[in-house]
Amino acid sequence: MTDNDSRIGRRAALVLGGGAAAMLAAPWVARAQARTIKIGMPTILSGRVATLGISSRNAVMMEMEKVNAAGGLAGRPVEMIFRDSKAQPQEAARVVRELVNTDGCEIIIDGEASSGSFAVQEVARDLKMLTIHTCSETSSLSADPKLRIPNAFRCVRQGVHDSVAGAAYAAKIAKEKGLKKWATCSPDYAYGRDTTAEFVGYLKQFAPDVEIVSESWPKLAQPDYTETLTKLLQANPQAVYSCIWGGDLTAFIDQGNLYGVFSKTPFFAVNMADYTVLTAVKNLPQGIHSGNRYIKTFPMTPQNAAWGDAYREKFKEYPTNWSWQNAAAVAFLAAAAKKANSTDTAKMSEALMGLTIDSPFGMNGKITMRAEDQTIVDYAIGWGTTIPKEPYMPNVTPGDWKQIVELETAWKKSKGYI
Amino acid sequence: MDLDSLFSCFASTSCVITQTTSGFIIGMLLFLVAVGLTLIFGILKVVNFSHGVFYMIGAYLALTVYQTTGSFPLALLAGGFGAALVGLAIERAFMSRIYGANPLMQILVCYALILIFDDLARLIWGGDFRSMGMPDVFQVPPVFIFGGVAPPYYIFVIAVAAAIAIVLALVIARTRFGKIVRAAAHNPAMVSALGINTVAIYALVFAAGCLLAGLAGALAAPVRTVSPGMGFSILIESFIVTVIGGMGSIAGALVGALLIGMLRTFGALGFPLFNEGLMYIFMVMVLVIRPSGLFGKEAA
Amino acid sequence: MRALSFSRALALAAIVLGLLFALLSTTANHALMDFVIRLASLAIFATSLNLLAGYGGMVSFGHGMFYGFGAYFFALTMQRAGVSIPVAIVASILGSALLAAIVGVICVRLKEIYFSFVTLAFQMLIHATILAAMPLTGGDQGLRGGVPRPPFLGLNLSNQKQLCMFSAFLLIVCLFAMHHVVSSPFGATLRMTRDNADRAAYLGIAVDRVRLKAFIIAAVFASIGGLLQALFVSGAYPDFAYWTVSGEGIFVIMLGGTTTFLGPLLGSVLMLLLNDFVSRFTEYHGLALGSVILVVALGLRKGVGDFVVDWLSARSEADASERTKTTEAAS
Repeated sequence: MTDNDSRIGRRAALVLGGGAAAMLAAPWVARAQARTIKIGMPTILSGRVATLGISSRNAVMMEMEKVNAAGGLAGRPVEMIFRDSKAQPQEAARVVRELVNTDGCEIIIDGEASSGSFAVQEVARDLKMLTIHTCSETSSLSADPKLRIPNAFRCVRQGVHDSVAGAAYAAKIAKEKGLKKWATCSPDYAYGRDTTAEFVGYLKQFAPDVEIVSESWPKLAQPDYTETLTKLLQANPQAVYSCIWGGDLTAFIDQGNLYGVFSKTPFFAVNMADYTVLTAVKNLPQGIHSGNRYIKTFPMTPQNAAWGDAYREKFKEYPTNWSWQNAAAVAFLAAAAKKANSTDTAKMSEALMGLTIDSPFGMNGKITMRAEDQTIVDYAIGWGTTIPKEPYMPNVTPGDWKQIVELETAWKKSKGYI
Repeated sequence: MDLDSLFSCFASTSCVITQTTSGFIIGMLLFLVAVGLTLIFGILKVVNFSHGVFYMIGAYLALTVYQTTGSFPLALLAGGFGAALVGLAIERAFMSRIYGANPLMQILVCYALILIFDDLARLIWGGDFRSMGMPDVFQVPPVFIFGGVAPPYYIFVIAVAAAIAIVLALVIARTRFGKIVRAAAHNPAMVSALGINTVAIYALVFAAGCLLAGLAGALAAPVRTVSPGMGFSILIESFIVTVIGGMGSIAGALVGALLIGMLRTFGALGFPLFNEGLMYIFMVMVLVIRPSGLFGKEAA
Repeated sequence: MRALSFSRALALAAIVLGLLFALLSTTANHALMDFVIRLASLAIFATSLNLLAGYGGMVSFGHGMFYGFGAYFFALTMQRAGVSIPVAIVASILGSALLAAIVGVICVRLKEIYFSFVTLAFQMLIHATILAAMPLTGGDQGLRGGVPRPPFLGLNLSNQKQLCMFSAFLLIVCLFAMHHVVSSPFGATLRMTRDNADRAAYLGIAVDRVRLKAFIIAAVFASIGGLLQALFVSGAYPDFAYWTVSGEGIFVIMLGGTTTFLGPLLGSVLMLLLNDFVSRFTEYHGLALGSVILVVALGLRKGVGDFVVDWLSARSEADASERTKTTEAAS
C-alpha cells in the first residue's frame, strides 16, 4: 500500500514535474513560434501615382492589423516594412534586395506597376523569397511561362479579363443601338496598347460589323488632349473606347466636356468607375460606360459595402483598385500560412497554388489563385453606367467568368504561352 | 503613319479650321510659359529650369481661390500674382546668388527648387490629382466657325494670351522700362554705371516671368489635371519652344509656340505614334541649321 | 590640378584594387555588396560625364543616352546572341562608340548651351526610339526575362559576391583608363579647347575633332556604367535612357566636384548614401535632397571634393607662410 502510495506519489510528482517543466518551457516555445515575421513592400509613394501606392499601403496596413489580431501568419506576428520605389524599376530592384538581405524580410508584397514589377520578379528569381505582386496588370507577368517562377504570385486584375468582359458588354449595346463606327483613344504604352487591341479584337468577334474609324494614342501624363479630341470629332464615330486612367482621365473628361464630346457619343472608359476619378471630376457626364475598378456597390454584398466603409472611415477617402488587390493579397497570405501551417516559402507557395479564399471582392464571394499560372480569377468584374453622384455606378452587369477564361485561354495559345 | 487622314484633313475647311484653332490653344498657353523663360534667359542669362514650378503654383493657387471664393477672375489674379510673389522671394533668396555662375551650378539650383516645390505642393495640397472645375460662364456648347469647332473657354484663353503678347511687345519696345531692360540685356555694367538699379530690374524681370507662368497655370487649371509635378511636361515643351524660337526672343517664343502647337495637332493626324518624336527631330534640325534659333541673335 | 604619372597611377590603382578585394572577400554583408555594384555603375558614368563636362567643357544634358544604350545593347546581346560576357562587353563598347560618333559629329559643332540642348534632344529621341521599338526592346515595360550570366574565366556573375568583385575591378580599371586619358597629351589638348577654342584652333588644333574624340571616349565609359546596371537588375528599362539619368549625373559631379579627378567618385558615394538613407525614412525625399543640394550649391558654391581640396591647399599655404614668417622672425 505504502509502496503503491509512494509509487503513485512518484508518478504524480513526475507528472507535476513534467507539467511544471512544460509550463516553464512554454514561454520559450511560444516565443520561438511567435518570432516576428517581416514582410517588405516596395511601392510608389512619391510622384504622379503616389495616391495609388499610398492606397495600397493603407489596405495592407488595415488588413495586417486583422491578421495580427488573429494571431499572425502561422502564429508569427507580422511586421510590415514599406519603402518608396519612386516608380523606378532599378530602385524597386534595389529596395527589394535591401528589404530581404538587410532588413530580413521573408515575404515581399510587390506594389509596383508595370516595369517595376518585372524588375521585382527578377529579384525574386535570384533571392527566392515568396513574392506576391499586387499592382501590375500586365498579363505577360503571369501568362508568359518564360517569366514564371514557383515563388511569385500575382493578385491583380488583368487587362485581358477586362477586355473580354468589356467587349461582351459593349457588343450587346452596339447591336442594340446599331453602333458600328468606333474610335479608340488610349495611352501610348504597353497597358494602353494591349488592352485596347484586346478589347477591339473581342468586340469585332462579338459584333462583326463593328469597324474602327480612328485611333489616338496620347502620351501617358499628357496634360493637353485638344488634338486627340479634335481628331475624334473629325472621325465622327458612333462610340468611343478608352483605357485612359487616373488624373489623365480627369483631364480628358474636363476637356472633352468643352467640346461636348460625351453628350452625343457613347463613351466606354474601362477605368472611369474609380473613386479617385469619380470624386475628382467636377462635371461628370451622365451615362459613361465603365468597368468596375473598386466600387462598394459591386458585388452588392454587405461584406463589400462594409469593407469600403471601414476603409473610408479609417483613411478619410474611398479605396482604389489597388487597395482591394492588396487587401486580397493579405488574405491570400493568411490563408496560405494557415493551410501550410508554416511561413516557409516553399510550403506557402505550394499552399497558394489553386487556393480559393472567401473574399468580399470575389464575384461570388470567392477568389481563386489559379494554379497553372499563379494569378487570380473569379474576382468581381462587371460593366455599368455612371451617374455624377453616389453610388456613382448603381447597376453593374457582371462579366461571365466562363467566357472570360475560355477566351483568355485562346489568347494565351495565340501568344504561344501554352 | 496615317498620311491619308492628314491629307483628307487638308482637303476640308472645317478640319483645317478645327486643327488650327487647336494648334492656337496649345500654342498660346505654351507661349505664356515660354515667354517668361526666354525673357529671363535674355536678360538674366539664366536658363530657369525651375520655371514649371511657377506654372504649378499658379494652378494650385487658382484652384484654392476658385474653390473657396467661387470667383474665376480672382482665381486668375491669385494664380498670376501669387506665382510672381513666390518668384520674387526665390529670386532674392537663391537666383540672385547664381547670376553669372557656372551654368552647371545654375541647373543644380533649379533642380533643387523643382524637387523642393513639388514636395511642398504635396505637403500642402496632397498627392492626389485635383480638378478645379469649369466656371459656369464657360459651360456652354462649343461655337462653330465655318464648320470648325472651338470651345468658348479656349477662345477666351487665346484672347488673354494674345493680349499679353501685345502688351509685352509694347512695353519692351515703347516704354522707358523696356529700354532699360533691353540695355541691361545688352550691357548690364553700362546700365548700372548710369545709376540704374540693375538688381531691381533683374528681380522685376524674374517676377514678371513667374507671373506669366502662374497665369498660364491658372488658365490651365479648369481643363488640366492639377497635381504635383505638373510643371514638368510644360517645362520641357516650353524649353523646346524657346530653343526653336531663339533664347531671348519674344517673337521667337510666339512663333515657336505656335509651330509646336500646329505640329502637335496636325502631327496627331499624320503620325499618331511618333508625335512627340517629331518635336525632337524638329528641334535637332533647328539647332543644327541655326543654333541660336529661328529668331535668336547669332550666338558667339 | 596635379596629375599622377602613369606608373604611380597604375601602382595606386593596383593597391586600391587589392585592398578592395581583400575587404570584399571577407564580407558577407549583402547591402555592402549591392552598394559596391551600384557605386561602380554610377561612378564610372559620372566620371565619364566629368571627362566631357569638366575637362572638355562640353556640358551634355544627354549623356544618359549612352548609359541606357550600353545597358540595352549589352542585355540584348546576352539574350539574343548567346555570347560570353566579355564578348558582349566589347560589343557594347563598339556599339556605343559608333552611336557616339554619329551623334557626336552633329553635336560637337555646337557651343555652350546649344551643345547641351542638342544632346538633350538626342537623348529624348533615343528614349522615344526605345519605347517605340517594342519587339526588340520590350517598349516601356523594359527588357524582360532576365539577363543570362554564363560563367567565364571561372567567374560566375550570378553570384552576388563575384559580381561585386567584378564591378570593383571594372570601376578601378575604368577610373585608371580615364585618368590616363585626362593626363595624356590628348587631355591637355582637350583642356585647351575648353579654355580657349579660338587659340587652340589658331595653334593648328582641329578643335571639333578633339571634341568628337572626347565625346566618343566619354560615351564608351558611360555605356560600361550602363551595362553594370543591367547586370545588377538583370534587365534594362527605358528609365536608364531618360534625361533624369543625365540630370543625376550632373548632380553627382557637381556634388563631388568637377575640378578633381576623383570628385565624381566622391559625389557618387554621397549621392547613393543620401538616396538610401533618405528613402528609408521619408517619402519626401525630394524636399530633403533639394535642401542638401541648395546647401552645397549656395553654401559651398562648389563640389564637396573641390571644397576639401581647396581647403587643404589653403591650409598648406597658410602653413607655408606661417613657416616663412617664423624663419623671418628667427633671422
